[in-house]
Amino acid sequence: MKATNEQTVLERAKQALNDEFLRNAVKLTTEKLKNGRLSAAKQLGNWEEWRERARQIRQHTIAHLDYYLNQFADQARKQGVHVHFAKDGKEAVEIAIRIAISKQAQTVVKSKSMVSEEIHMNEALEQNGIESVETDLGEYIIQLAGEMPSHIIIPAIHKNRKQIAELLSRDANETLAPDTAVLAGYVRKKLREKFLAADIGMTGCNFAIAETGSIVLFENEGNARMVSTLPKTQITLMGMERIVPTWDDLEVMATMLPRSATGQRLTVYMSGITGPRRPDDGDGPEEMHVIILDNGRSLQLGDPEFQELLHCIRCGACLNACPVYRHIGGHSYGSTYSGPIGAVLKPALNKNVLEWDDVANASSLCGACYEACPVKIPLHDMLVYLRRRKNEAGAGLCSEKWMMKGFKVVMAKPHRLRAVLKAGRLGQMPLVRDGAISAHLGPLKGWTAYRRFPALAKPSFRERWPHLQAELKEKARRASVKEHVQLRLKQIREKRTKKTGGNRDE
Amino acid sequence: MKVSIMITCLADAIYPKVGEAMARILARYGIEADFPQLQTCCGQPAFNSGYWDEARASALTMLEAFQESDFVVTPSGSCAGMIHHYYLKLFESDEARYRQAEELIDKTYEFSRFLVHVMGVTDVGAHFPHKVTYHPSCHGSRLLGVKDEPLKLLEHVRGLELIPLPYAEDCCGFGGTFSVKMSDISGAMVSEKVDHVLETKAEVLVGIDLGCLMNIAGHLRHRGQSLRVMHLAELLDEGMGVTA
Amino acid sequence: MNEQEQAQRQFIVNISQRLGRPMPKTPPEHPFRGAPPFWKEHTRAIAADPARMIAQFIECWQQAGGEAKSFPSLDGLRTFIVDTATEMKARAFIRHRHPLLDELKLEEELSESDWTVWDGQRPEEMKNKANAADIGVIVADYAVSATGTIVTMSSADKGRSVSLLPPMLIAIVPASCIRSSLGEVMSQISAIGMERMPAGIHFISGPSRSADIENDLTIGVHGPGIVYALIFEDR
Repeated sequence: MKATNEQTVLERAKQALNDEFLRNAVKLTTEKLKNGRLSAAKQLGNWEEWRERARQIRQHTIAHLDYYLNQFADQARKQGVHVHFAKDGKEAVEIAIRIAISKQAQTVVKSKSMVSEEIHMNEALEQNGIESVETDLGEYIIQLAGEMPSHIIIPAIHKNRKQIAELLSRDANETLAPDTAVLAGYVRKKLREKFLAADIGMTGCNFAIAETGSIVLFENEGNARMVSTLPKTQITLMGMERIVPTWDDLEVMATMLPRSATGQRLTVYMSGITGPRRPDDGDGPEEMHVIILDNGRSLQLGDPEFQELLHCIRCGACLNACPVYRHIGGHSYGSTYSGPIGAVLKPALNKNVLEWDDVANASSLCGACYEACPVKIPLHDMLVYLRRRKNEAGAGLCSEKWMMKGFKVVMAKPHRLRAVLKAGRLGQMPLVRDGAISAHLGPLKGWTAYRRFPALAKPSFRERWPHLQAELKEKARRASVKEHVQLRLKQIREKRTKKTGGNRDE
Repeated sequence: MKVSIMITCLADAIYPKVGEAMARILARYGIEADFPQLQTCCGQPAFNSGYWDEARASALTMLEAFQESDFVVTPSGSCAGMIHHYYLKLFESDEARYRQAEELIDKTYEFSRFLVHVMGVTDVGAHFPHKVTYHPSCHGSRLLGVKDEPLKLLEHVRGLELIPLPYAEDCCGFGGTFSVKMSDISGAMVSEKVDHVLETKAEVLVGIDLGCLMNIAGHLRHRGQSLRVMHLAELLDEGMGVTA
Repeated sequence: MNEQEQAQRQFIVNISQRLGRPMPKTPPEHPFRGAPPFWKEHTRAIAADPARMIAQFIECWQQAGGEAKSFPSLDGLRTFIVDTATEMKARAFIRHRHPLLDELKLEEELSESDWTVWDGQRPEEMKNKANAADIGVIVADYAVSATGTIVTMSSADKGRSVSLLPPMLIAIVPASCIRSSLGEVMSQISAIGMERMPAGIHFISGPSRSADIENDLTIGVHGPGIVYALIFEDR
């Protein structure tokens, strides 16, 4: 994994683009999930109103995060939870290891947690001689392969059945047929033993409810329930922004998250866990810890351009909608979080501007991510803000900087633009064939590898204008329906000056 | 009533015919548009790459060029989107410019929206007997919300057979400097878009944004395909010429 | 103040500072609490029609891959369970301790089988029994028609393992427990109060599933793969 991180997004993307299976698998999966979301939204009805409500709740919560997080911690403690706060990944890992060592734990079973991936919990546990077992089917597969998840919802999206059969066969010490039922059956049996024997269950946290100090887990397999039911100790890793104020608010999140992620009305399991088992309960953890992680999140607060990042509910809809993700897959982004949200989250969490790689450039800014987002995070705008901040820090590409300086000089004055166009027409002459350029030259190289470039027109529109004007005058004079149109124009202009109409916010 | 053309840098330098077609259509309804010479570019190429000072210098020419206009019409959803969506942010620290930007936003329309919502025209009386497919550009449809207007106009063209483009809402991979900086990814995207366009067996691809059309046409030619690529204004103008 | 509380204070102070104001001392005004008004109206209308709620619940539960059926009498319910269990050749059962299940007397009907009633005692033994059982039988505390969901809340009598470890789950849903939306159950949960909150509140909407291998849907990955929701029309 280290090796891939030293490459640029472009280099990793190039490898991905040359991997037929990967491209096809990612395409099929994202399309299926995307269509699931679209039909679930349609079936529910009033999707835009739901989206707006979800955004309002997230915005309200994050704007009062200090209050609600404090309330959550207090209430969880009242329920007997040990609540820990970690300012970065290192602290969170240390807390978890300390708990594990005090319990003399040999095995930790884990349900899916992006935070755990973010802070590399598995490696830390293994280094301390503690076996760490991912129990989500997809996570188990990539753990065996020693890889990172390539999708928030479907972590092993990039592996085919044959590769999975090989991995699991090695794990089983026997040959397993590349048949989904056989492979899943093996994992069920193998992991059931792990669930029953493990000392610690480690979970992520989709939402945390301030009013009762509960954590909420969404899943389809039942592994998160196993992890939070069978082992004697439960450790929950939670990003500090996972809070919602009340159970009532959870209804909105439960309406949006599964539909946006997979198109389900609700995930098969949604579990609200409030403290360790009660004295008379026959199961559930005897001891429960929640580790609340900052790790760069608080840096977004008070930053008008990025605070909304904390609204994210980790549904993966932006990945499924993104045409770039579809072509290059999750690993190309080189971080735990991939796709549009990853492209913004990774640099935003690490505010060391100068070390950002080119991940913010890997977007055509098409806005499909924003359109898909159930809480309306303007990711396409944030990508532009990131690019700007990088330039402001002096870390932009040198060639681009000069190009943009030139842009400024030329575009600030129309006569300069006119002169440049004229010069361009002379310059392009040796390259133009049939009105287009296909030579692989200078800045055009990337373009002409895939397309021909149209030649500059002669004359340009502004040069042609004086002639055109005469023609238009004549046409307009002869027009037959003009009164009606003129009247409409007048009415619309009047409305605008009275501030009752206008053309904004469409 | 002063209706002004915002030509956009691409149409000015490479596709002047699109601007001419648009101006002719307006003239047929008695609107004698003007062309303020002060304008250059909306600033989007610099803005999207994160060079906001540079973008501002260019955007200033637009604020000034259209100060006197009652309406501003442009053959680009993307450039209109830039103004609507980002000019307030670009000028947020300059009160006077900010007010100018507000005014510009209120009067700036993408071409098809101007036709349908301002002029109240959905049937221009054109005749264009060809199979046509329509690519809705991302900025036009998502930033600006121009979704139905071009389709309404196309539906009323006599003889025109509109074939739905599969995965129409997918980005063509242009993205301005993205197409140069991330050329391999952009190339894969435009190649997929062209596959879908060719699947329709249409004779003409029509759109409302020249960046996307230049990108798609460039790849079509790269693959030796001769399918016609037109801006909506060109198609309507040509179709009106037949009936005029 | 202990170490954990101190860490909490530092952490929260940092957030307040980032937000540029001191932490609010009173609960913030929350005008957007819960689902939008139109949804509440919509589900209220459905709630007024119990037959519609039952139909909607059954449809959603079946769409998720579960089996569902409604019974006007306990006798019909008992016969169905006995027949299904016999057909499945189930030999070991574990169930919640619940008056309705006592009344059903399934143990008498299926006397050849091994029955365990969860009572919160002998945790190790209970865990092993649940793991070895073919079928877990529970009575749902609530059900939600809009999503096809059953809700079970843990207690001494209602082990979480019963609805989780066996490969098959039979959940009896008293019709009087069906609500039209998640929100109605959520407000009931809010009203329980901190002292009586159950440790585990589980919303279950069908059989355990995964699509992690090449998008191929598999059922029963970790939790029960066969799930029956049997509605008892108690009103």
